This record gives sequence, C-alpha cells and structure tokens, in this order.
Amino acid sequence: MIDPEVIVIGGGPAGIAAAIEVAGCGYAVEVVEQRDSLGGAIHRQPIKGVAPISQASGPKARWRALSDDFASARIPVRYRSIFLGVDADGLVLFENRLACSVERLQAKAVIVATGAVEKVLPRPGWHMAKVSTAGGLQVMMKETGRAPKGRVLLAGNGPLLIAVTAQMARLGNPPVAIVEAGDPLGRTGAGFSMLGHMSLVREAFGYLRTIYLRGIPWMRASQLTAIERDDTSLIAVVRRANGREQRIPVDRIGLHDGIRPNDFALPNEKATSVAGPVILRAGDCRESLGAFAAEADGRRAGRAVAEILSGGHERADLGCVKIERARRAQEVLSTLFAPVGGACPISSLPADTILCRCEGKTVGDLRSLCERADRLTGREIKHNGRFAMGLCQGRFCAANTAALMAEIWPQAPAPVAEDLTGRRWPIRPVSIAALTGARATSTEHE
Amino acid sequence: MMREDVNVGRQFNNARREAMQFHPPFSAIVIGAGIVGASTAYFLAKRGVAVQLIDASAPASEATGAADGAVSVASKRPGPMMAAALSGVRLYATLAKEGVFAGAFKHRSTFIVAASDEECAVLEAHSAALATVGVRVDTLSAANLHQRFPVLSLKARLGVEVHDDGHAIGYQIVHRLLTAAQITVDRNTKVDGLAIAKGGRSVTGVSTRRGTIEADAVVIAAGTGSAEFLNAAGVLTPRKGQLLVTERAPRLNAAMPGAIMSGRYLLSKGTQKMANSTPARGLGLVIDPLVTGQFLIGGTREEFGDRQSNDIDAVSRILAEAVALVPGLASLRLLRSFSGLRTAVVDGLPLVGRMPGFDNAYIATGFEGDGICLGPVTGKSIVQLICGEAPEVDLTPFDPSRFERSGEKL
Repeated sequence: MIDPEVIVIGGGPAGIAAAIEVAGCGYAVEVVEQRDSLGGAIHRQPIKGVAPISQASGPKARWRALSDDFASARIPVRYRSIFLGVDADGLVLFENRLACSVERLQAKAVIVATGAVEKVLPRPGWHMAKVSTAGGLQVMMKETGRAPKGRVLLAGNGPLLIAVTAQMARLGNPPVAIVEAGDPLGRTGAGFSMLGHMSLVREAFGYLRTIYLRGIPWMRASQLTAIERDDTSLIAVVRRANGREQRIPVDRIGLHDGIRPNDFALPNEKATSVAGPVILRAGDCRESLGAFAAEADGRRAGRAVAEILSGGHERADLGCVKIERARRAQEVLSTLFAPVGGACPISSLPADTILCRCEGKTVGDLRSLCERADRLTGREIKHNGRFAMGLCQGRFCAANTAALMAEIWPQAPAPVAEDLTGRRWPIRPVSIAALTGARATSTEHE
Repeated sequence: MMREDVNVGRQFNNARREAMQFHPPFSAIVIGAGIVGASTAYFLAKRGVAVQLIDASAPASEATGAADGAVSVASKRPGPMMAAALSGVRLYATLAKEGVFAGAFKHRSTFIVAASDEECAVLEAHSAALATVGVRVDTLSAANLHQRFPVLSLKARLGVEVHDDGHAIGYQIVHRLLTAAQITVDRNTKVDGLAIAKGGRSVTGVSTRRGTIEADAVVIAAGTGSAEFLNAAGVLTPRKGQLLVTERAPRLNAAMPGAIMSGRYLLSKGTQKMANSTPARGLGLVIDPLVTGQFLIGGTREEFGDRQSNDIDAVSRILAEAVALVPGLASLRLLRSFSGLRTAVVDGLPLVGRMPGFDNAYIATGFEGDGICLGPVTGKSIVQLICGEAPEVDLTPFDPSRFERSGEKL
C-alpha cells in the first residue's frame, strides 16, 4: 500500500471535513480513527444491532450531509487505530488494535483532529467506583441506546449536564437531580445575548422543556462538595444556593465541569514539510467550540494543508466567520453558566482529596511538595510528586495540578498542563507486543 | 594496584595543598543544577559555604532528568572509572543510611546475561576482571540462573550476578539534595562568562544578564554547556540516549531479583579505549525493575544528530531485545519514551578538577552515562579539593589540564 500524502487523525466533524477538503484539492488522504465508526463523540454511532438514539434535527442533518460527502470522496479510513504521535524521524505512528501492530506512515502532512475532553474538577470522593464523567454516560447512551441504570446524579457545570439529562429522560431513566454551579436563569443579561444564537436557544429550550415536564430538580448555584458512600449507595453531598447541605443517596454520579481541547502530548503545529510532515490541528483539539465550528475549522485546516503542500502560504482567514460566531456563542454560554461565587479553588479542598487518580496523589501531597522557598516547575512537580505520570498520562490531573500550583504560587507565571505532560510520544500507552511486531529491521547488534 | 593509584593521588594532592595554602571559601557559585552541580552545592552547603546554584533552565532538566539511573560498577573495567564508581556506590549507600537518599536508592544486583558463545566468553573474562578489584560476583550456570531469575528467557545461557549495585532516579536524587540543603536554585539564569580578577589567575564570580554575581570560588557543572567556559572546542561532545518506561506490572517486577544487562552491553558501552570509535548508534540493553512496579528499559548511545526525541526504530529495537530476554514484558504497555543528551569527553574520562589557569575555578562534567553513579561522589570530591583536602576519589586521571598537555587548548 502506498503511504498517503496527508493523514487526518480523528473521524469526527473536524477530521472528516478536513479530509474532504484535502481530497478535493487532489491529495491522497487517509483518516485514522480510534473506534469502529466515524462521527466523533458528538455523532457517536451505536454499536452493532442498536438503533441510534434520537438527536436534534439540525446536527443530525449536518452529519448526514458531511458523511455523504465523505462517502462520495472515497477516502480510506483506518479504524481501531490509535494515534501515538510523530517520531524523531517524522514518521506518523499509530497502534492498529485490530492487527495488534504499530504502523508507521511517511506523510507530507498530518491534520490532528482529536476533539475535546471533559474537564472534571477534583472533589473528595470523586475517584470512587460508579463515579464517571457525564459525557462518558452520554457516549454510553449513544452506543448502547440505553440510559445508565439506577439513581443517577449529574453534577458540575455547563450546558452538557442538561443535554445529558434530556437524553436520559428520553431513554426512560432521568437523573434524580442536576447539581449546577452556575445559575443561567439568574443571568438575564447573558440570557438576552443568547438570542443572537437562535440554534442554541432552540436546543436549550428543548432540554429545559424535558427537565421541566419531568420535574427533574435542577439545583442551580449549587455545588457537589463531596462524594461519600454507605453500605448500599453513594452519597452526594450538595451545598445548595441558600447554604443548606443536602445528602442525596444515589447509585451513580456523572461529573462534568466543561470541556477543553484534547491536546495532551500532541506534537506542536508545524507549517512546513521540511524535516517531518506539516502538522496542523483542527476542530475542538485546537479550540473547543463545538461541532459546528469544528466542521468549519476542519475545512480551514484541510485547505491550509493543501495550500502549504502546493507551495503557497496558509491563509488564516478561511472559515473564520463561522468559527468567530461559535466563539461568541461559547462566550455567551460560559457567562451564562459562570459558577455563582466563582470557581471553587482547589486549594480549599481537604488535604486527602485525590488529585491524581492513577497514582493516588492528593492535594496535600502537592501542597507539601510546594512548601519551600524554591518555585518548582511543572516538570519537577511531575517527577518528584508523580503527578501526570500514571496511565492516563495527565489527562485527568495535569490541568488540575497546574491550577493548584498557580493557587499556591500566585506571583509566578501560571503553569499549564503541558508543563507536566510534555509533548512526547507515545501519546497513549501502547502494547509492547504491537511495538515489537512493528519492527521492520533486524535486531542484530551493530 | 588500585590502592597504590589512590595513594599516589593523595600524595599529589597533599603536596598541592601545602604549596597553595588552602582555606575553605566563604561563598561559592555552582553553574548547573544537574546531579553533579546539585551534589557539589549540597556538600558545600554542609560545610557552611554560602552557595548559589545557577541553572540555565531548571534542576535536572537535561541529562540527569533522562538518565537510566544505574548506580553500578557492573559494566566497568578496572581503572580510574571503576575506582570512582566503587566510591560512588558506597556513597549512595551511606547517604541512604543517613536519610538524604533514604527510599531513593534501591539496593539491587545487576545480572549480566550472555546468550551466545561470544557473549559467554566476554562475560567470563569480565567477571574475572570485576573480581580482581574486589567486586562481589557470582557466576550462574544456565540452571542456576533460571532458578534465581525465573522470568528470564531460556536463551540466556550464562549469568553473572554483580552484588552491591543499585539504582536511583537522577531527578529524585537532585530533589533530595536540594531539599536537604535548603537550596533555592537560581533558575532560567544563563551564565555569560566568568568574571576574572586582575592578573587573570582567579575568578571573582560569574556574569549573567542580571549583572555579576560574586563568589570566592566557581564550579562549572553545566554538562554540554560547560564547553563555552572552556575554550575547548572538540573536547566535549553531546551523546544522545533513548530510554523507555513501562506501565506497572507488580508480579513480573517482584519476580526480578535485580536488573538485567545484556552481555552485549559490555560491547556497546565500550572501554575507555574504545570511546573514540563509538558507532553512530549503539544499543545496549538494561532492564531495571523500579520500586513503582514499572520497568525502565534502555537504551541507545548515539551521536547527537538533529533528532531531538525518540524514534520508532530505536524504541522497537530496544523493546524487541527486552522481550527476547524477558518474554513477559510483551504483555505490558509502553508508557513513556524519553531521550537525553549526555556530555561525553573525547577520551572517555570526565573532566573533574581545577580549571587550568585558575586558582579558584573548577570543573566537573563529561560523565556521559555515569553521571548518576558518579555525581554525588564527584560533588563530594570537588568540594574536598576546594577545601584543600584529599578528595575521596583520585581525581588525577580526570584532571582537565590533560588536554592542555596533549596540545588541545583548554
């Protein structure tokens, strides 16, 4: 098989749109997708034999149009393939989980479209079993067509919580409550700004209608302060807007505190094909603005790559209007959902609150590591505190660790997640059996 | 024979001390917060010297932060490096007992294993050489080896257990030293040059973009960055090494009574004599079971080209060799790969001692892959030299002035 000229990582709206654009400019392109089907998290397809759950008509139509275009462009897709990074020789690496091998491709350009991940803030007890992310519950519903069983509580911050609530309700098991740090109904100014984004208003109204009709408690300006457990249940400890504490027994908790780019350890962007491929990011992994903007940004990245490969220059303005509009909509939403009383500082959490779930490192561990005249770098915190060193490679803890460091040393330049995670491959843990099978040359000693 | 060498060195240093009227300095600057610089700063601080540790970026950010962590004499041949390494391992044990390195130094054996006739022959000769300098070694036949080390592949035909070796993680050691001595590192500070006193025989401090920092003595432990203070083009060369870390595998880890070193490592690492003829890329396999239950697997030793990071070719070769020796590793996942630049000296011996032409400037660098083992003992020895005492390690073979003598300007 001849190596493609351009590789697109991720088969969500951004990746698909980018691939269509690149193919349209006459370049051989392939898509590398980690799952069995295209669509990304937003258009996650059900597993075999399950009917897709209903989706809002606008996004559904957009996805149908996009996947039709993609099908007619006859772009090859490598499924069940996990992007590992770009190595020192500029080879694009991915683990093929079907073949149990690590494959290396020599491409002129890579478009990385790995989407977004959920932000989850640490809380006492958040590491316990049966606590997951709200987005994780949503993906499970999209795949299986079933709501999570038992008494479910959703907590955190942002519009995704009400979207997941509405989906659970439609599948027959609405959550027992939604604990929301913001108070969107109390912010009339931002509410009016919403009117500039009618598709959002329609979507939100649909969710709120379900919540209202089912009588699901939407506890606004409230915090899930701790998760405890007794013999049979998880106990969600909720501090309500009036300061009163409420203890809610549940079977499962879905947490969600917004989304952020899934850019952990991704190679940096690179606008030339000298010494390794052109590398551009597209969609939510560049800036998390949702599916509509992701599609536009994918087209932008696809055209930019074609421009660079044909010897021209990247035109920055492509698709800018749609992206700018989505950016404004996100700003409105984040004002609307801004946590009442500001975000809860991580430094206010009890010392034994887990910060790094993989290695069991706590808020107190980080605090005592920082008790010194010397201001440590993110890398030193990682090395000596083992934060961002576990199997998740910092996806769960790097941003929270950096945030706590910034709270402890407010005068210092604020550290970021990347200071802890670095930018090295493998981006994900990779099977040694697959890696050694990938060996193309002799192992004889030179 | 080694004993005699040490004595000659001591006599030499005693003579120098008497000639030059030493007294401990009140203040000192150490350039470079790798393991050598941090150790030097630690031993200076312990003597009450006001020490300022300066780094162009942050502690352990170069070779020390990307080292295999061997605190080992297993691959050494008798000679000055072996003598230094034996002192180095002893100092780790002492500092672990004293508490500074407690829990950060893992005492363990190194098992060198041979899989071919050629490797067996080299290994037997090597084992005999180790024994001559008093290293405790046991030769294990195939049957004994597999009894002692059941997870080892049956391909291993002969093993030599080198006792009293150990492992330490470079950045943890640096952190321990700095924490114990309560040293605040002057970070992101590039030293532009030495400030030289009138007459040119001594330094008054160093110049940085923030002005001149004064001190009674200066120690340069800046790895490859040391070259700019030396006017010694070609003496120091960066050499790249690639290393890997797996996920945790407690059961497999517990089944390994020590680190495994492929017999080929002896060839890859070379003797001091072979240092000039390093191949473009050598591969020497060491599998170290870490206290976390993970495995550290290394590594390459290669000329530094323009490839900054790891390449799939090296990574998959290292792992293929590791799996060939310990088949159980195939069921694990690779968690991290990393590479670092180590500073090598053209003749294969580090530069440790007084800077030629100066009374109060010192250099300690060029350990290539031995920095973790030799860092603390080098720090201790250079501080002894600064204070006019006989260094714990005989530094004469590492004297930087050797390049002056051979015509290279230093």
